[in-house]
Amino acid sequence: MTDGIVLSTSGLVAGYERGLPIVRGVDFALRGGELVTILGPNGAGKSTFVKAIAGLVPIHEGKVFLGGTDATAVPAHEKIRHGLAFVPQTENVFASLSIADNLRLAADILPRPDRAGRIDRVYGMFPDIADRSGRRAGALSGGQRQMLAVARALIVEPTVLILDEPSAGLSPKIVGEVFARLENIKRSGVAIVLVEQNVKAALAVADRAVILVEGQVRHEGTAMGLADDPLVAALYLGAQRERAVSPA
Amino acid sequence: MNPQGLMDGLIAGTTIGLGAVGITLTYSILRFSNFAHGELISWGAYFALAVAGLLGAAFGFMSAPIGPFSFGWALPIAAIAAIGLNAVLALVVDALLFSRLRSRNSTVIIMVMASFGAALTLRNLLEFTFTGKPQYYTNALQIAIRLGGGIRATPDQLLSLLVAALVVVGVHLLLTRTATGRAMRAVSENPQLAGLAGVNVRQVIRIVWMLGAALAAMAGVMAGLLIQIRPEMGLDLLLPLFAAAILGGIGSVPGAMTAGLIIGISEALAVAVVGAQWRAAVSFVILVAVLLVRPQGLFGRAE
Repeated sequence: MTDGIVLSTSGLVAGYERGLPIVRGVDFALRGGELVTILGPNGAGKSTFVKAIAGLVPIHEGKVFLGGTDATAVPAHEKIRHGLAFVPQTENVFASLSIADNLRLAADILPRPDRAGRIDRVYGMFPDIADRSGRRAGALSGGQRQMLAVARALIVEPTVLILDEPSAGLSPKIVGEVFARLENIKRSGVAIVLVEQNVKAALAVADRAVILVEGQVRHEGTAMGLADDPLVAALYLGAQRERAVSPA
Repeated sequence: MNPQGLMDGLIAGTTIGLGAVGITLTYSILRFSNFAHGELISWGAYFALAVAGLLGAAFGFMSAPIGPFSFGWALPIAAIAAIGLNAVLALVVDALLFSRLRSRNSTVIIMVMASFGAALTLRNLLEFTFTGKPQYYTNALQIAIRLGGGIRATPDQLLSLLVAALVVVGVHLLLTRTATGRAMRAVSENPQLAGLAGVNVRQVIRIVWMLGAALAAMAGVMAGLLIQIRPEMGLDLLLPLFAAAILGGIGSVPGAMTAGLIIGISEALAVAVVGAQWRAAVSFVILVAVLLVRPQGLFGRAE
């Protein structure tokens, strides 16, 4: 690991079909305990970029490094063992399983003696779901599902947590609650990559922001600087910035 | 229906139920109707026949009946071997056919048609190897035991009921109480998310093939023990198996077993009321009725 970098990509080219890359040569680095948001207009390749890191989209060129180890060819189900947890935008919990079984499933890759303690720990972080542990995850509200999805990802105590648009479909109040939890998670030392359409909310919690346009990095900098950059806002965020819903 | 008819239906239903548990597991996780499952039942029966024959030839005492049963120790040992051999056969069929289609993201209809092809191949291989002549594990005759209430059953039939009940409880506990079962349920709902949670989906698929084939082998040995062994025995069971899997609710192990018993009893009822020639129609009528009235089955949840 160099300079505390826990996740990096170098010249990453990825897409569902070879010859039609969606991500086109992205260099990216994330340090421990840092929260970086990936922004950009629709179709910029934000989700494809993080899915490629997670092993869900084929990588055609370039490398992914996790903690200094080349993880480019590591299959999706092994990435979690390398410290990378990914929370998809939709269908991110097992609706037919109970809340407890969602968490047990994630804990099953841990040594047996550690499992109960890790589950208790995330119940402590998310008391809302702890109170309903026997219920089917499918019966939860959108916000509770998002909390469960994040809780499930945190069971293994990852070094890197990637969230793909966690605010999608949630009310402003719930978005505020989810993002407040992300700040707590970041403070616990977990590095976070946050793909978001809700620019204002994302910039409010992020340390740095990377703007992707047409699969390439067009701008990156501190979140605070980017939030105040009228040129960047006009070029890449456009009307979204005006529409952005602030957390309650 | 007289009580004996109920008993006969229950016994037939155990074989259907065991096969249907295999069907429901493979359907819910592999996401296609495997029409070669009937042939796995036949192959399981023939594997046991071959191994029991070899054991009997090598160690004559193994063919001597155990207590009240019609078979010797050669058959239980052969049944265990058949479970293993059938699991290997299912993995080979998957590696040669279905996994290749999965890797090409083939549609469900292609998988189903491929399973028809696999069924034909497996059935003809059986006929080529063992001929189409009906065969038996034992030629010993059994006297039925009076159980009271006008019901009789042979020791072999009672043992089959007990084994089926234990197997279904075991599979249900595997699915609901173990890490492997959780992984299977997770893959059944969302394979991609299961992978992100650290589940090796390919490994789960292999486990499902092996488990389905093991249950098919048990069903085959039971059918062979209680009726006879023929290359078409699995094909003849296919419609009742699918009717039971759908009636029970896809993915539900207790549902598949319960539905298997319901279909077995319904068939026995049909024989008593409208005649044996209508027996085969019972599964079809139940299948159509369930799809029209309650497509999620008895134990399934509505989408």
